[in-house]
Amino acid sequence: MKTTSYLLLCAIVAVVVAIAVRFVPGVSEAIEGTLLAFLSTNAR
Amino acid sequence: MKLLTVGAQALGLLLLIPAVALVTLRFEHRNADGPSILFPGGELVSGALYAGPEPDWTFTARVPTVELQLNDPVSSRLIWIVESEGRIYVASGYMSSLLGRLWKHWAVQADDGDGLAVVRMDGTRYERRLVRIAEGPVLDGVAAALQAKYGMPATRQDIEAGNTWIFELAPRGA
Repeated sequence: MKTTSYLLLCAIVAVVVAIAVRFVPGVSEAIEGTLLAFLSTNAR
Repeated sequence: MKLLTVGAQALGLLLLIPAVALVTLRFEHRNADGPSILFPGGELVSGALYAGPEPDWTFTARVPTVELQLNDPVSSRLIWIVESEGRIYVASGYMSSLLGRLWKHWAVQADDGDGLAVVRMDGTRYERRLVRIAEGPVLDGVAAALQAKYGMPATRQDIEAGNTWIFELAPRGA
């Protein structure tokens, strides 16, 4: 993939992820829950 | 070479997704009524504002964490609390390292600023002033309380050396 196309794809993915986290119900809770579970299992 | 480029691009995308998600979550929480476990929050708004004589703080022994909000800047985080000799204290560890001072930047802000804060526990908000206790025999009791309640290996020497900062949540008028 050309650099320009790749950067455009990155920008689109970033916007989609940000919108999903902000506006799709349950997504932010799911991410935070997963992160917390990971940290509580692995953090020392 | 092309395979390597495609692999690097795929890895970049895979790293981008969680990075954007975390930054968005951090942004989303910045004005929330209190912190989450992972992210700082904004001004503590809900809950009755306590007015009255100095409470008997021994009840904090059964409170694992409290929500602590600085007034300047307005941001809140979850933090441990201990009681010793009728006074309440919060601790900030790792303060002798640059990473610790960045991570626990609230402690630097509280020490540099006026220390005005609001603490919320059991749904009640208490207006307090953070006063750093850098030395003195009172630290023996605070260190013992931190060790007993949380297993935190703090000692008076450790605190006086600046590795752990202790703040008393003093009354505003004091």
